[in-house]
Amino acid sequence: MNLQAPDYLIIIVYFLFVIGVGFLIKRKIKSSNDFLSSSRNIPLWITSLAFISANLGAQEVIGMVASGAKYGIMTVHFYWVGAIFAMVFLGVFMMPFYYGSKARSVPEYLSLRFDEKTRGLNAISFAVMTVFSSGISLYALAKMLEIILKWNFDVSIWVAAGIVMVYTFLGGLTSAVYNEVLQFFLIVLGLSPLVIVALHDAGGWENVKAQLPSYMTHAWKYMGDPDANPMGLHFMSLIFGLGFVMSFGYWCTDFLVVQRAMIAKNMGDAQRTPIIAAIPKMLMPLIVVLPGVVAIALMQPALQANGYRIPVEADGQLNYTMTLPSLIAHYYPSGLLGVGITALMASFMSGMAGNVTAFNAVVTYDVYQAYFVKRRSDKHYLVFGKFVTVAGILISIATAYIAKGFNNINDFLQLVFGFVNGPLFATFLLGMFWKRTTGHGAFWGLVFGTLGAAITHGLTIAEGKGGWIAPLFPIKSGMGQAFIVAAVSWIVNFVLTIVISLATKPKPDKDLVGLVYSLTEKPKYTSAKWYQRIVPLAILLLAITIILNIIFF
Amino acid sequence: MYKKLNNLSFVIGAFFTIVSLILFANILITGRNDALSLYSASAFLIFGVVMMFTS
Repeated sequence: MNLQAPDYLIIIVYFLFVIGVGFLIKRKIKSSNDFLSSSRNIPLWITSLAFISANLGAQEVIGMVASGAKYGIMTVHFYWVGAIFAMVFLGVFMMPFYYGSKARSVPEYLSLRFDEKTRGLNAISFAVMTVFSSGISLYALAKMLEIILKWNFDVSIWVAAGIVMVYTFLGGLTSAVYNEVLQFFLIVLGLSPLVIVALHDAGGWENVKAQLPSYMTHAWKYMGDPDANPMGLHFMSLIFGLGFVMSFGYWCTDFLVVQRAMIAKNMGDAQRTPIIAAIPKMLMPLIVVLPGVVAIALMQPALQANGYRIPVEADGQLNYTMTLPSLIAHYYPSGLLGVGITALMASFMSGMAGNVTAFNAVVTYDVYQAYFVKRRSDKHYLVFGKFVTVAGILISIATAYIAKGFNNINDFLQLVFGFVNGPLFATFLLGMFWKRTTGHGAFWGLVFGTLGAAITHGLTIAEGKGGWIAPLFPIKSGMGQAFIVAAVSWIVNFVLTIVISLATKPKPDKDLVGLVYSLTEKPKYTSAKWYQRIVPLAILLLAITIILNIIFF
Repeated sequence: MYKKLNNLSFVIGAFFTIVSLILFANILITGRNDALSLYSASAFLIFGVVMMFTS
């Protein structure tokens, strides 16, 4: 793939715009709250698109296209099972606690609801996870640029990280959020022509279905038998592992995404943020799953005349991670190629900036201010927040250099999320909806839940990964292994938190007002029109999601 | 103008308008009969202009 002058021009224009946004926002940054939490002053449409865009990083765009090619249309489960329900649950039930408690971060909520040790554990594990994700994004970007454009790996890493550092350092969270919205439109509009032309080349959806084995074009039909579908999963594992544990663990507790709803102007907008975001999320498979499925169809004998091939690795296996870049190289002419490459860069930068801005808020609020330097001027925390931003980028760069050896980025990230987020949702579920849950129960439940995840990973083996204790339980796919690890960790945490809570002393009711469902007044929106009210919107979204699942059954 | 630049929809609109102009210029300069680029550039232009006008 060779870029021409117009391609480079588009990339340069994009870089100038994202840095320009940083400079524009810089003038508005007066306090640590402006820098780290946008002073809760961002309009609904921006928080909603930033909410989805923060998740639209490497794992979403490159990883989901790769999964579409590898697993077929079943990949839509990450959206229609593994996202929408959790996003709606977050908006309807959990945002009132996050927003109403005035916590500046998810770990801070844990400190209000439970105690400092639970907050510390969550803050540190989250911080590690975010820089790791950020490093993975960076590694994947540099690797992709090295393979498809022959750009130097080291230069790509430092230039991409440098640009993200400039705009996050200048404008903090607001700058990252504004750029995430620009990146969202760039990704959607930049990749839409690719989907249309590839699908047209494949003879339309009906021909794609005719070319591929039936299990590649049905979401549920082959889920009754793990050996009959490419993910190697039974539908109960999928529903519990992905649809409940991993999905709710990520969307409802991961500060990276929840942060985008917490900066809304008021409670109503904070609740609507994940619900409005669920609308584009529901349609995202058209951009990130469909191209993967079409790519595999294009390689079938009847369509081989089009000349498209997914690149292969040294061992002859298809390199699924390269599906999207190879589609762009195959279909996009000069000019549009620049748009496609810029869209890919935007997805990596969006993911990285999201991670870095969540990392700097948690490290500043929940580690530095909570445990080390408690009562200093606001300017002190603003300066420290900027310092952590730079440190986060540098750690990400270091992480990128060690993040090698995985042929499907998505499998790996799901595994990491399974370790950290899997058990976490049990803590929040019990903490928000059972006032008897104690700090000791929450803390030890989290510790043993995460330990349970590690042990499960050590006893299971899939695609050569895991089994480091003893490979006793082989699993067909890495994704299936991640679901099982998450499910076990959730159950361990849930049971242990209940048992330990019953044996320890709970907080008095007066300390839990605004933090626990049964002790909190529910927000009412009786005067708003139906489409502005939380529950009718949520029900409509759930109904559409169920219909989509039925259509692609 | 500075006030407009502080409006995110204007910034997004300006970005897509510029990208569409680069694509149109590329089509004109190369003289290539490239329907994909032409349709994409048109869509970007419409989106960009609408975003700027609604800002």
